[in-house]
Amino acid sequence: MDAFNTLMANLSLGFATAFTLQNLVYCFVGCLLGTLIGVLPGIGPIATIAMLLPATYALPPIAALIMLAGIYYGAQYGGSTTAILVNLPGESSSVVTMLDGYQMARKGRAGAALSVAALGSFIAGCFGTLILAAFAAPLAELAFKFGPAEYFSLMVLGLIGAVVLASGSLIKAIGMIILGLLLGLVGTDVNTGTARFSFGIPELSDGIGFISVAMGVFGFAEIITNVDMKDKRETFTNKVEGLILSWKDFKEAAPAILRGTGIGSLLGILPGGGALLAAFASYTIEKKLGKNPQPPFGQGNIRGVAGPESANNAGAQTSFIPLLTLGIPPNAVMALMVGAMTIHNIQPGPQVMTSNPALFWGMIASMWIGNLMLVILNLPLIGMWVQLLKVPYRILYPAILMFCCIGVFSVNNNSFDVLITVLFGVLGIVFLKLGCEAAPLLLGFILGPMMEENLRRAMLLSRGDPTVFLTRPLSLVMLLMALAMIVIISLPAISKKREETFVEE
Amino acid sequence: MKPMKPWKALVGAILGAVSLCAQAQYPNKPIRMVVTFPTGGAPDILARIFSEKTTLGQAVVVDNKPGAGGNIGAEIVAKAPGDGYTIVMATVGTHSINGALYSKMPYDMVKDFTPIGLIASTPNLLVVNNNLPVKTVPELITYMKANPNKLSFGSPGIGSSIHVSGELFKSTTGTQMTHVPYKGRQFALPDLLGGSIQLMFDNMPSALPLVKEGKLRALGQTGAKRSPSAPDVPTIAEQGLPGFEATAWFALFAPAGTPKEVVARLQGEMQRIYKLPDVQDRLKTLGLDPVLGTAEELAKYQAAEIAKWAKVVKDSGARAD
Repeated sequence: MDAFNTLMANLSLGFATAFTLQNLVYCFVGCLLGTLIGVLPGIGPIATIAMLLPATYALPPIAALIMLAGIYYGAQYGGSTTAILVNLPGESSSVVTMLDGYQMARKGRAGAALSVAALGSFIAGCFGTLILAAFAAPLAELAFKFGPAEYFSLMVLGLIGAVVLASGSLIKAIGMIILGLLLGLVGTDVNTGTARFSFGIPELSDGIGFISVAMGVFGFAEIITNVDMKDKRETFTNKVEGLILSWKDFKEAAPAILRGTGIGSLLGILPGGGALLAAFASYTIEKKLGKNPQPPFGQGNIRGVAGPESANNAGAQTSFIPLLTLGIPPNAVMALMVGAMTIHNIQPGPQVMTSNPALFWGMIASMWIGNLMLVILNLPLIGMWVQLLKVPYRILYPAILMFCCIGVFSVNNNSFDVLITVLFGVLGIVFLKLGCEAAPLLLGFILGPMMEENLRRAMLLSRGDPTVFLTRPLSLVMLLMALAMIVIISLPAISKKREETFVEE
Repeated sequence: MKPMKPWKALVGAILGAVSLCAQAQYPNKPIRMVVTFPTGGAPDILARIFSEKTTLGQAVVVDNKPGAGGNIGAEIVAKAPGDGYTIVMATVGTHSINGALYSKMPYDMVKDFTPIGLIASTPNLLVVNNNLPVKTVPELITYMKANPNKLSFGSPGIGSSIHVSGELFKSTTGTQMTHVPYKGRQFALPDLLGGSIQLMFDNMPSALPLVKEGKLRALGQTGAKRSPSAPDVPTIAEQGLPGFEATAWFALFAPAGTPKEVVARLQGEMQRIYKLPDVQDRLKTLGLDPVLGTAEELAKYQAAEIAKWAKVVKDSGARAD
């Protein structure tokens, strides 16, 4: 009861802070700007926050962080909108939303897809906020159970999951993952300081930027191939109606939302690709659950939108836990938040909760408000966002490319990054022509270096004893799960069924 | 004194007038201050304070050019004209450690630059996991000698001040421990708190709160004197290792050949800005100790730092390129 009272006292302090007119306005402006930029294809939360960060420098710290949180949610929701309507992921975690969301739009159910994405995000957001408020401190302890050995095993599991999840040819998926791993090797080796595959170019000594790869293979390549094959591109901007979900849709989506929320909340706390892994994991689970889903996954199943959307939002929410309780950003977006907090003289970490409770709880309350604003303000505004996508391609596409370039440039203020992005755009076009999926490449690119780092770190810490991965129970469990996945997928019956599942893309 | 030939005197007079004119005008366009690290870190904040408080009459534009341990940004300034319109917020890395670490430096840390002044320095804090049965530096040394190479220390990468502090500790005390590099100090912290690694020479501002919360134990600070931010923590030098010093510092440099008057102008502005009471308060919350030395002091300090780190880096065998 005591803990409950403390929680209520904290939350009421938070809402008292967030519910000032000024902060509500900043929260709304943040959501609006975030959606505006996030809805542009190829521009995800990272680029959006990076682009809008300077706009918050002049604000008081609480207002600035509240606005940034708003931008973050707006950008995420904007990303889902684009994924559903244009089949372009605004961010890596909406890659999964695209699979079924776009198919729903093709079948004239864009409204339902957008609603369920918003609703799922809101429910997951509420739940995530509560978790954040109630369990921030104890949950951060969970991260300590994970040493380098556990992280390595988790990533093995993640990569094998990606292979199983990949649609189309298994060989191509493995090929793309390996290519991603190789690309991830470019840069200075953390352990020895030796530059790898940098060809004497100083910009490459820090590796290829994630944003360049993501924007290149998704944003640029998509846009350019669509100019090429104009009639194949369908943008469902006229068919957005029926925002109200039918009872049948709701009944189907609700359990998926709850499952996605649960998975997302758990995976979001872990450093690394929290929201992304959460979305992938949720999609895999939805796909495995229930026989004969109608329509099948990959063809516009509502659960395929509801689950991952809830999971990535819950993950986004709980990824604030390591940041706010330990000052450890679990992903790139949170790293940007650290930068923003430091600019305002706040050192993220456990002391924020005690020395600046108004800020800490105000931010938590504003997360919930931000999520609410997305539903009650942004959903009705969907028409406006759609108008943005209705702009003729000859204007929209160059504008998008320009925004992408600005986004890429703004991360490091370096034109070299823009060149690399263009290069990956060309590569992305080649992949599309060859029918190779880019999502596994991206996952390999992110997880590869982390996996190598943790493998070598675990070996360094065990002074060269490889059994460390089997003697630590958590690590062993994850490796066994990975093994089980390989066994399952190589069973003849399953692999045949898998091919059937992905036959219609 | 021989009388000057009339034409020489004339040329001299014209040149003098031109340079006087130029001096009077400096700065007559915005000054670009290159920060060799991303937004948000200590060098970035110091640069933004300068930009915010300047009264030079021209904007000071902060330009973040991170990468290659700061070498990318420092190289830009090394190759810029020495006119005072491009200056760099240098760090212990870009202007001393990197010289020993990188076999092919894209610039000469001394010859390519004109020192302006040292702004601030911050010691690192030797913190250990709470389960490690030591409370002081001598106890740690005894423990390490009894358990050779049992401990591991983390760092945000090869050649960081956090890494070389550990290497300096090893070579000064003749002990052994394994260096475990991470991609950033924030990634090393969970392993330190969880006990996978046992110690780290972390940056003072980020480590202090964790010490105050009781999550980590502080054994000593690496500065020559106790930092005003942590007056209760003894220095490592005080604990039987006289002369032990490993600090991260931040200084302003202009390209080589920058006129004396311009350097003096920038040095004066630096002194004025970082002595403002509100700026001093901000530095204190960031755990930065203001030094505010002259250009000559910076040149001397830099030479000493280069010599010290060259030896430590060489002994440790660390390399980056």
